[in-house]
Amino acid sequence: MVKTADKIEEEIRTIFSADTPWVTIVWDDPVNLQTYVTYVFMELFSYSKTRATELMLQVHNDGKAIVSTGSREEMEHDVARLHEYGLWATLQRGDQL
Amino acid sequence: MTSTEGFKRQGDHTYIAHFADSEKEVLLNLCEQIIELLAERRDHGHEDPLAAMVGITSHDSPPDDEVLHRLLPNAYTDQVDASEFRRYTESTLRQKKQAHAMSMRIHLKSSDDGDVDLDHDNANAWLGGINDIRLALGVRLKVENNSHEELELLSPDDPLRGVYAVYTWLGWLQETLLAALIDDFDEDEESALSNG
Repeated sequence: MVKTADKIEEEIRTIFSADTPWVTIVWDDPVNLQTYVTYVFMELFSYSKTRATELMLQVHNDGKAIVSTGSREEMEHDVARLHEYGLWATLQRGDQL
Repeated sequence: MTSTEGFKRQGDHTYIAHFADSEKEVLLNLCEQIIELLAERRDHGHEDPLAAMVGITSHDSPPDDEVLHRLLPNAYTDQVDASEFRRYTESTLRQKKQAHAMSMRIHLKSSDDGDVDLDHDNANAWLGGINDIRLALGVRLKVENNSHEELELLSPDDPLRGVYAVYTWLGWLQETLLAALIDDFDEDEESALSNG
């Protein structure tokens, strides 16, 4: 029981803590071209070609990659932009990965 | 009419292509289908007009159609959060995707000789538009389950063979535009480095 109470308290703390990071995840998709995924990362996040290529390869090889980190609102904005360009993206709390 | 050689860069941040009449027709047809597909859902009769004006809709479930589901995916793996996000954003996403296809349509319609000339923003709209068409065709071709080798071997009478040909062609077209855009990026990075 004590453990549960601790857990709830921790949960509440996390909810109210402004600096809990959220993450945007891009999932692998068999249609999107590798060059396209790289370009979208460069264009939307201003990542260098090297960084964007690394992330694209991570999506391709591991099935997913974290492409940005920030507040929930910022991640919702990033996911919306990725969806606009047809990438398969979701957001979630960084401590629940 | 010669068929297109794809996109080429012309000077800084300008991208040009020439399309044969038949290619123009195929592209226009696909754009129109995507625009129609992305039109607002009519499956809910009780929209609040005020909410609709600011892009809030009463539908919070993902679209039933498999293609639409891929074009308008869930933003959260959690269903409750996904529904809430969808209510506030799906309408805007539909409009943005429609705008990409409309941009392609306008360029093609206004070109009598098949020449298309894009600036950086137009090029991004084309990339997104071509990608949505590929995503839609990819669902129909079941690209998830069928390998490219299997799709290459479709019988000539199979209607999907034609779909696969268009899908491959669009992938190639998208690659030519990406190559031209990334070429520009490389030059910008190089000049930034030499100036820095």
